[in-house]
Amino acid sequence: MTPPRGLLVLEPGLLSTVQDRGRHGWAAFGVPAAGALDEEALRLANRLVGNDEGLAALEITLVGPVLRASGTLDVAVVGGSFGPAPGRVLRLEDGDVVSFAAARGAARAIVAASGGIDVPVVLGSRSTCLSARFGGFQGRRLWRGDFLAVPLPPSPSSQPLVDDLVELVEPGAGDILLRAFAGPDEGEFDAAQQAAFWGSPWRILPESNRMGLRLGGPSLGLQETAARASEGTTPGTVQVTADGHPIVLLAERPTTGGYPKLAVVAATDLGLLARTPPGRSVRFERISVTEARSLLAARDVRLRSYPGGRA
Amino acid sequence: MKEAGEFAWLLTFEGDEAAANEAARRAAAAIRASRLPGVMDVVPAARSVLVSGTPELDPERLRAFEAPRLEASAASLRTHEIRMVADGADRDEIASRCGLPADAFLEVFAQLSFTVGFLGFSPGFAYLYGLPRTFHLPRRGTPRVAVPAGSIALAGPYVGIYPASTPGGWNLLGTTQRRLFDLRADPPFLFAPGDVVRFKL
Repeated sequence: MTPPRGLLVLEPGLLSTVQDRGRHGWAAFGVPAAGALDEEALRLANRLVGNDEGLAALEITLVGPVLRASGTLDVAVVGGSFGPAPGRVLRLEDGDVVSFAAARGAARAIVAASGGIDVPVVLGSRSTCLSARFGGFQGRRLWRGDFLAVPLPPSPSSQPLVDDLVELVEPGAGDILLRAFAGPDEGEFDAAQQAAFWGSPWRILPESNRMGLRLGGPSLGLQETAARASEGTTPGTVQVTADGHPIVLLAERPTTGGYPKLAVVAATDLGLLARTPPGRSVRFERISVTEARSLLAARDVRLRSYPGGRA
Repeated sequence: MKEAGEFAWLLTFEGDEAAANEAARRAAAAIRASRLPGVMDVVPAARSVLVSGTPELDPERLRAFEAPRLEASAASLRTHEIRMVADGADRDEIASRCGLPADAFLEVFAQLSFTVGFLGFSPGFAYLYGLPRTFHLPRRGTPRVAVPAGSIALAGPYVGIYPASTPGGWNLLGTTQRRLFDLRADPPFLFAPGDVVRFKL
């Protein structure tokens, strides 16, 4: 009997989870979307190994896993350099060990495998919901000894190398520039608060997680939040807590929240934000929502121009 | 109507919160029933509806749903009777802050009828309207690290039930054995917006 094809987790890394494009349609029941924080990397990594863009892959964080192949399969890592071959396909033969344990300045990357990571679909998605402990691989981060089933051998349409993925490898030097547009509650912030937000560098704090990135910098002043009505939340929303500190909401944010929303980070720049590690600083550059839509449309055209799998 | 994302809009409703929430729920049901192209999620909340979707979603077609809607919601609303044990850590404090002995408070509480206004915070967590104003209490100053699963709790105008053990800052009145979120059940969620809930001691 042939052993199943897949990846054995020799070392789990800091926070490795199975993610796809998220769990949509259940937000009215309080279910966080989850899904890869870096959607662009997910789509590209899947394309490289010849997959549909939305198949489930591993999201790895700060220190990635060490994996041993069972059977022959392809993997591709996109979104940050964690050791071998960022932006390329690695063909693994039975028994090959691949380590993503060396972080080189990127917070996250996506590791896709030929045919995807085979976990059950829960409420329409294979994404891990860490907070409610379901979906993905048994509703949790990977542990040593887990075995990830990979359904397919290398695809004839896998791409050995994509040269121009440099911008997807890791954030560059200096402050990271994020484009953002006005949030729905901008009018509740006075001119000085708005100037401080758009004009200051913000450090990504270590207590950030898949729900939100906490930003350190000048306090924007106390916000009146006690009597605010909860509203549905969107990814990239910059909300300001009662003590005046911004949080950028990410894929696993709760579906409703009661803090005022000052800005929204452009969807095209959320991947860059996901790749930027704690301790680095970001600045916000103001654009219009119309520009943000154009950026997103242009990115989709660019993603589709890469060879490999299908949209 | 306000932009909340590239392809996400917030519709907001005026009036006191319970009335605004009812308008939001009606609008959410109507948007869902209209099957507008490009809609991914429709999320009613305290006094708003968030509609998010794909580039296909046309905001001009959402505007019509901001007008108050008088017609009854198409979904048939259910009534749930929730058996509760009044064993919450804050039971006596809740009663005394509402100016009643614990037994009298519970007797009044069990006669109230609540409406599921919206779900949020965690999968299956329901915000119920229907508390009289004298029972509106602030959240606890320091949230608990872990609230027991099934806790029935009060905060502001809401009664909530914690589907799972999570951190929480609400005042704990009691617990129920009913599962609010169960992936093996069909549907996996006990409550939907608009459902009626009564507690039985």
